[in-house]
Amino acid sequence: MAQRAVWLISHEPGTPLCGTVRFSRRYPTVEKRARVFNGTSYVPIPEDGPFLKALLFELRLLDDDKDFVESRDSCSHINKTSVYGLLVGGGELWPVVAFLKNNMIYACVPLVEQTLSPRPPLISISGISQSFELLFGIQDFLHLGQKNDTELNTKLNQLPDLLLQACPFGTLLDANLQNSLDSINFASVTHPQKQPAWKVGTYKGKPQVSISITEKVKSMQYDKQDIADTWQVVGAVTCKCDLEGIMPNVTISLSLPTNGSPLQDILVHPCVTSLDSAILTSSSIDAMDDSAFSGPYKFPFTPPLESFNLCYYTSQVPVPPILGFYQMKEEEIQVKITVNLKLHESVKNNFEFCEARIPFYNRGPITHVEYKVSFGQLEVFREKSLLIWIIGQKFPKSMEISLSGTVTFGAKSHEKQPFDEICIGGTAYLKLHFKILDYTLTGCYADQHSVQVFASGKPKINTHRKLISSDYYIWNSKAPAPITYGSLLL
Amino acid sequence: MSSRHAPRAGGPAPREPVVARSGVAPETSRFHLGGPGCWTMGPLSRETWAQRLGAFRASPSAFMAGPEGEDLGRDLLNELRSEKLSEQTKVSLLALSLEYPAQLWPDAAAAEAAATSLLDTLVLLPPRPSALRRPLLLAATTALAAGDALGPTSGASRRLLPLLLGLASGRDLGRGFGPASEQRPLQATACECLRELESCKPGLLGGCLGLLRSLLGQEGPVQPLSLLLALALRNTLVIQARARAGLQGLLVAGDMPAAGGPWNWTLAEEADAHLQPQAPSWPAAEEEECGLAVLEPSPEEARELRAAVAQLLDTSYLLTPVAQAQLLWLLGWALRGLRGQPPVLFKPQLVRLLGTAQLTLLHAVLALKAAFGEALFTAQDEALLLRRLTLAAQHPALPLPAHLFYLHCLLNFPENCPLGPTGEETAPLLLGPRLCRGLLPSLLHDPSALLAHLHLLCLLCAEDEEKEEKGQDWCPRHYLGELLAGLRQRAALHGGPRALATLCFQASYLVVHCLATQPTVLTPLTHGLARLYRARPALAPHFVDLLDRVGPELGEPLRTALRQEVVSRPGRDEALRWHLQILSKVADGKAPSATLGFLRAAAAHCTDWGLQQALLQVCRALLRAGVGEGLADLLQALARQLEDPDGRDRARLYYILLAHLAGPKLGVALGPSLAAPALTSSLVAENQGFAAVLMVQEAPAPMRLSVGPRRAAGPVPVLQLQVEVLEPLYSVELRFRVEGQLYAPLGAVHVPCLLPGRPCRPLHLPLQPRRPAPAQLAVRALFATPAGLTCHAHLPPLPVNFADLFLPFPRAPDGDKQGFFEELWDSCLPEGAESRLWCPLGPQGLEALVARHLDPFVVVAQPPTSYHVAIRLPPASRLLLRLEAAQGDGVPVALRTDDWAVLPLAGDYLRGLSAAV
Repeated sequence: MAQRAVWLISHEPGTPLCGTVRFSRRYPTVEKRARVFNGTSYVPIPEDGPFLKALLFELRLLDDDKDFVESRDSCSHINKTSVYGLLVGGGELWPVVAFLKNNMIYACVPLVEQTLSPRPPLISISGISQSFELLFGIQDFLHLGQKNDTELNTKLNQLPDLLLQACPFGTLLDANLQNSLDSINFASVTHPQKQPAWKVGTYKGKPQVSISITEKVKSMQYDKQDIADTWQVVGAVTCKCDLEGIMPNVTISLSLPTNGSPLQDILVHPCVTSLDSAILTSSSIDAMDDSAFSGPYKFPFTPPLESFNLCYYTSQVPVPPILGFYQMKEEEIQVKITVNLKLHESVKNNFEFCEARIPFYNRGPITHVEYKVSFGQLEVFREKSLLIWIIGQKFPKSMEISLSGTVTFGAKSHEKQPFDEICIGGTAYLKLHFKILDYTLTGCYADQHSVQVFASGKPKINTHRKLISSDYYIWNSKAPAPITYGSLLL
Repeated sequence: MSSRHAPRAGGPAPREPVVARSGVAPETSRFHLGGPGCWTMGPLSRETWAQRLGAFRASPSAFMAGPEGEDLGRDLLNELRSEKLSEQTKVSLLALSLEYPAQLWPDAAAAEAAATSLLDTLVLLPPRPSALRRPLLLAATTALAAGDALGPTSGASRRLLPLLLGLASGRDLGRGFGPASEQRPLQATACECLRELESCKPGLLGGCLGLLRSLLGQEGPVQPLSLLLALALRNTLVIQARARAGLQGLLVAGDMPAAGGPWNWTLAEEADAHLQPQAPSWPAAEEEECGLAVLEPSPEEARELRAAVAQLLDTSYLLTPVAQAQLLWLLGWALRGLRGQPPVLFKPQLVRLLGTAQLTLLHAVLALKAAFGEALFTAQDEALLLRRLTLAAQHPALPLPAHLFYLHCLLNFPENCPLGPTGEETAPLLLGPRLCRGLLPSLLHDPSALLAHLHLLCLLCAEDEEKEEKGQDWCPRHYLGELLAGLRQRAALHGGPRALATLCFQASYLVVHCLATQPTVLTPLTHGLARLYRARPALAPHFVDLLDRVGPELGEPLRTALRQEVVSRPGRDEALRWHLQILSKVADGKAPSATLGFLRAAAAHCTDWGLQQALLQVCRALLRAGVGEGLADLLQALARQLEDPDGRDRARLYYILLAHLAGPKLGVALGPSLAAPALTSSLVAENQGFAAVLMVQEAPAPMRLSVGPRRAAGPVPVLQLQVEVLEPLYSVELRFRVEGQLYAPLGAVHVPCLLPGRPCRPLHLPLQPRRPAPAQLAVRALFATPAGLTCHAHLPPLPVNFADLFLPFPRAPDGDKQGFFEELWDSCLPEGAESRLWCPLGPQGLEALVARHLDPFVVVAQPPTSYHVAIRLPPASRLLLRLEAAQGDGVPVALRTDDWAVLPLAGDYLRGLSAAV
């Protein structure tokens, strides 16, 4: 259960190599074991240059995909996971765990403690999940609070030292690299007995507990007879517990109002010490009925020092917060659009912001717009072929607003206007972006009084809530739209 | 904060790494400026090292091959003791040695020396806090383990191991090892180093199990000690099980080896003999297979083992999630082969683990599931685990790579009672359509996500095969059809990225792979693909690839559909290149007239070499398929009309082949496929393909020929040849040549087919002697092999004996045989010759001798004493013999012939008769 090597590669389309190795680390003692375990199927870790080239080719991130290349484009070359085989130096390096996130490619090669021919299933390779954790850990570290390239570079420069702590010999000790950074800084603190490895020091200061519930609502609305609209709430509860003592015990209860929507699919942080079986089994897979467990949801845990996600959940609320339709008709070089949005009466009508983005893909730049809005204002981004309808902080009393207009396009030039593989012809969407503070769609809240802390001193408890939109699509009802199985009313 | 962090945390200048990691190689020339000498003369500055390390990292092999390569390892070790370099620079140097020891110190001796030097540097450090102790320990460990230097004869090993063990046990090692504040981190580091050494040399710590247990029970750092103990425990159990030895009290014994005392290498050396690819800790590998014999510990050992495992598990919550997962894998492996070790010890951990979203933890639970099955997971537990896995595979809070991995785990789920064949991905029995609802593919998915979910959908469709279409809430096949149509629509997009097309074909391939027997799926798929071709012929390479890889279930109908799609178009089309590529793949003997019509129309538009070659490639496919009619006309026309001489030549060649070779031969001659024609001449490429086939090739003799019993009858002597073959031969032609022109030229003998083991009737070879004399026949065989090649072989020469030429005279009139003989006898003289000679007889006597050799030629017989023999010798000679008054051991023979040249031959013949019996 170890890693042979790890890389961070920035994807730079348009440059000659299309990418740069920003960080790499090899583990020669693991490599030595790989040579023994893999036997004749052993393929050594290549140098950075060949690795970069092979990985970008396999991930289709080289700019050149004009021609059919069998080793990449063959129909039988099927990849169903983020694990790849790379052709390097006459052999195939496998398994290479890799994914692209925010223009950065995270990659590593776990040790497989057996022959690679035939390939064992991934589930039987213990190093695979460790690879993912390592890469997720690096990703979290790089993007936590990162604002710009300078910060990214600073963090990249810290990586060699951090990995020396978190993964000195290729066996990952802690995926939380921030923790390793802290451990370098906490090194002088004398560790008492039974200090958890995931908590490198102890907190000294005023006790306080912050609980923040963030709900994201996503939706696919079609306004069609035979296709059901779908929407789902995904919640994340983030905690920061500043408490003295090595292992303070905390219990947080999440509660719902009487008409609240039950929480389902609950995943908890590993620091949670026990779970009610009702929480473990409450699942969106089952049909909902009145008997569904509706809380309170108790989470006893011993907190780490840093801010962490106590749990995630999903929920199926009875109605989407904003219901709308979008109609778009193509007429030669122009399209006619009509949009109608209605805020549900139960939703708090006090947004931090609310806007609807209406993109036009696979067309030329916008040359002319004629429109009428019942509320808010419309911004036109001609080159991007995008309209943004700024709705603002509140819906009007009627809770219903509309936009209609005609958009004319110029000639298409491939370089500038956005291409989209889904929005072909009349297939089009508008996407809602909004945020409501101090509100959750499920009604879920953490009652200050229900937070139990077994530690010295009475902590101050802060709670926050917010609802934000995420992937909130309203599809043109006058054309086909991509559907998921759940949308089929059969 | 301790002062050692000052250079890192503070200072006005932000800390910069010494190693340039831009990935852009600095110009190498920069490093030649000072010449190689500059590296070794005196200490190098921080900047010089930064450049040097940057150049090394950009390409280690290129750097090591360069002038500075050789000295790098030595310089690095020296610089570590330099007082001028900052600690941070030295840490960078050590970091390099952690990654590239094999390049710096390429053999075991160099590694040993490097480790020794690193240890020396370590002990020479002043007693103040230093950031170097930890990386020095790591570097010395790496140098030994990666450099194959670890062992009982290595001095560095003998120093490092007790040092690490001392540090790990928190023993006071004196002021040399820094202030007390550094002891704790060094203790953890020492554990990590020991764990790495144990990983590379299993059994190394077998003698320290008891010590490690007691350390864990005391104040030691929980995580490093737990992982070290778990690994050492697992390795010991594996080694002892292989050696069929017990635990021998290893778990309780345990003071540490005396300082300076010898290290116990017994177990490590035991393991060394077995160091080989390890079987996975996964159930598919049977215990015997992985060499893990079932270990049966004594009750006392079992109790100690349980206590050790419980100790580890009880404190596992103090470990980071990834470390917990490692612990579970190790312990699962350790206990799997043990009898009497119920896995219930793991049970208390499971509920806690099942609730998390942590990938490694869920994976470790699956490993336990695989290792222990029903012994640890009841049917309800299994159902719960499956539900949590299903949930994790679609939970919106988790990233896509995790979803895909969980989906993989679902399709490889270690079921308690698996039904399907092992080794193939299947949907677990409990994973019904209801559970899968959220796992179905959608066009909004990424390519790999779509394929993963599509695979699951296909498996469900396959399961659904026998059931009637239910139509209400579950109609996976319908959904599958819609999805594929959506993929094709995207692939048809002109100017769209190739990835979309690739995805469409991969999805189609996957569907055919899983659902090859379902016409309700394949028929619309075929039509859909044909429509896709109509919309975007530029996808031809994808179609060709698909046809190459799918079975006949889709391949046959798709070929037909594509052929119809192409030939129904006018020959002048922008996409002509693609049409021709498709046709060369799908053209077969069916409906040749439409295909030929298309080609005729297309020929006028094939204006460049590439198109002409593509056109001829289709002709080639038709030739192979045996299309004759119409094709000859087309080829002739092409041979005249094509602009490019190469194209004309190739067309002419095909025409000649078509005109001269029979169908099957043509198929073979044109081979399975032609490599892409050489840029200059397609004929050259073509020739490589079939020159061998069209030329007669020399082969070793595949048959044995021998002369069978004589058949003295008819107007001319006829040899009866017997043939035996070693392999099937077809169209065999045997050619004979007589040396010395003794006979008239011989005709060839033809046999359609010769098979080994099947008796062949004798072959008749008529001889036309010009003189009655024995001869040698040279023999050659021409034949076709089953592979269609024409070969020739020289066979050993065939002797024709004097007696082989004998023919009887036409039958004498019944009444007067004696008179007939006497007449012949008298006619020999005076031109001929007469002789008397002695013919020795064997034990069987005259009667038997005559019966055996001369019977057909006897004219008058008075058995057993007197025989008159008349032999005709073609072309026009006669030989007459009187064998009379035989004695015991011989018979006097009176001999006359009309050809004196026959006399010596006859004499030899008669004298040899008795020996020939």
